[in-house]
Amino acid sequence: MESAAVEIEHLRKRYGRFEALGGVSLTVPRGVVFGLLGPNGAGKSTLVKSLLTIVRPTECRGTMLGERIGSRRILAKVGYLPEHARFPEYLTGRQIVAYTAGLANVPARAAKQRTEELLETVGMKEWADRKNGTYSKGMRQRVGLAQALVNDPEIVFLDEPTDGVDPGGRIEIRRIIEGMREQGRTVFVNSHLLGEVEQIADEVAILSKGRIVEKGTVESLTRRERLFEIRSLGPVPLTLKPRFEERGMRVAGDTLVVESQDAEGIQGIIDELRGEGVTIREIRERRSSLEEVFLEAVERGKEDPA
Amino acid sequence: MRQFNAVFIDAIRLLRARVLFWVTLGISLFAGLLYLSIGFNESGFSVFFGLYSVESEYLVAGSRMAEQAYLGIFGMFIVNLWLSWIAVILALITCAPVFPEFMQEGSAGVVLSKPISRWKLFLYKYLAGLLFAAIQTAAFCLLVFVALRWRIGHWNPTVFWAVPLIVLMFSYIWSVMVLTGVKTRSVMASVLAALVFWCFAWLAKVVEEKAWMEAELGVSLGVAGPRMLSPEEQEKAREDLAMYSLPFKILPKTTDTVNLLQRWIVVKGDSGLSSSEIASLTMTGEPERDEEAEEGMRRHSPAWIIGSSLAFEAVILFLAGWIFCRRDY
Repeated sequence: MESAAVEIEHLRKRYGRFEALGGVSLTVPRGVVFGLLGPNGAGKSTLVKSLLTIVRPTECRGTMLGERIGSRRILAKVGYLPEHARFPEYLTGRQIVAYTAGLANVPARAAKQRTEELLETVGMKEWADRKNGTYSKGMRQRVGLAQALVNDPEIVFLDEPTDGVDPGGRIEIRRIIEGMREQGRTVFVNSHLLGEVEQIADEVAILSKGRIVEKGTVESLTRRERLFEIRSLGPVPLTLKPRFEERGMRVAGDTLVVESQDAEGIQGIIDELRGEGVTIREIRERRSSLEEVFLEAVERGKEDPA
Repeated sequence: MRQFNAVFIDAIRLLRARVLFWVTLGISLFAGLLYLSIGFNESGFSVFFGLYSVESEYLVAGSRMAEQAYLGIFGMFIVNLWLSWIAVILALITCAPVFPEFMQEGSAGVVLSKPISRWKLFLYKYLAGLLFAAIQTAAFCLLVFVALRWRIGHWNPTVFWAVPLIVLMFSYIWSVMVLTGVKTRSVMASVLAALVFWCFAWLAKVVEEKAWMEAELGVSLGVAGPRMLSPEEQEKAREDLAMYSLPFKILPKTTDTVNLLQRWIVVKGDSGLSSSEIASLTMTGEPERDEEAEEGMRRHSPAWIIGSSLAFEAVILFLAGWIFCRRDY
């Protein structure tokens, strides 16, 4: 059986007395877009840097692509775009990608071919011979994405890839990430932009104060609290309102919010409304947004010091 | 090899992108041209391609002394002043940001996430700095090489000894700069540390030389001029010699390394003039031998000068490399 892309049994990182990561365990399956969410200072970048040997973990047990975390050999199959990536100003986009290819030990011919392909993919071919110093933030991120892919990696780590990029650029980066998934790569995205992660990630983990406080597929996390919104023509009758509220439903004007895992659970309520002659104008299924899941998890993390 | 090429090519691009690199190279080439402009004729010599002529009995076209003097200018002014001081300072300032810039957040991450060991990376970056000094010195020596052929009449490849020796001398200070850069990630701190260290190395040399003269020759050099020591004073100086020469023994021998040039650059058909005679000839037009200077210059073997300096450099580099490899980025 093929191993997971990343399998962390135990990862701990201390900076003196400060614990940046306190015994994280995490599994990232192959071929998915994985979102690591967390507030600033939660330890997201430290976690990724620990996997990539940029930071030396205090304690680490686990594997990446089937090899021990910390092995340099495995880095040949890994791509990385750091947060606030700074490439030399004096290099052109093409030179940056070629430079990274050289460091990753990609054979010259393959490197040249992939550089051209990737610059085309990220939409930088036209500006590839201009110096990095003349690029906008969005252009730099595109070149950063190209260099992260130049060694044809099996897993790509992107740390805040859309940070500082305009909305058009964000859509473009999202498209590129989706393209990576279609190519069978595992994409590990660190972000605090929940809306974006929700759109592209298959699985997420929420990190707070150096600990994983929530993890699962986006589907399962957002389905946990499933709501139905029933809207009537005119306000909900006063005769029904206290009855519904007693049963934990929220009534506001013409809207009735009911917690239920499936549509079966609201059929009785519809009958009650219809029985009172209420005209139902709309029934809508609503899931918790990732943002709501995130805020709840982070709050939980704050309360639970362990 | 691909990784080395990538770092090497990047280093060349980095140098090309720095204004100081071109300024330093430009001044080097200008100094080389000035040297090239010195010529000899039947009645003496001229400078600025014949613009000013000076009559001389010894320094005439085809004479061995002219050749010695021409090499003397190279050794005394160009190597001792330009290449071993000014050009090295400019090179240090130019190379100073190499490690601190690399170690900034966002810069190191991409490189360190590649399958290249940190020690290798450290070494490649270190060699990139040496490359700067090598290019600069080599370009200059090439001009001198051509100048000698043009002005003296034959090729003298021994002038190229300046390249490894100057690079070697640069490497001693560069290693200290690397250590400070890696430790503090500050360009300013590394430049200051390198210059202060250089001064210390020079001071250690001066102190050792003075102590040696007092102990072995019984001569004390003071503000009022040289003074002969009494036997008791000389005995005391002998006892103190080990203590005063300790810093010199430990620290790299920057001046002595460059001075090796005067031993290693040889003139075809050797005229028999010593380095002090060449110096005297260049300064006064008369070859006078300075025995003390000659003895002082030859009392340490090249192997000891270079070996002990490289030992110091190796320790500093190991320390810098260890910090570089252990650090979180």
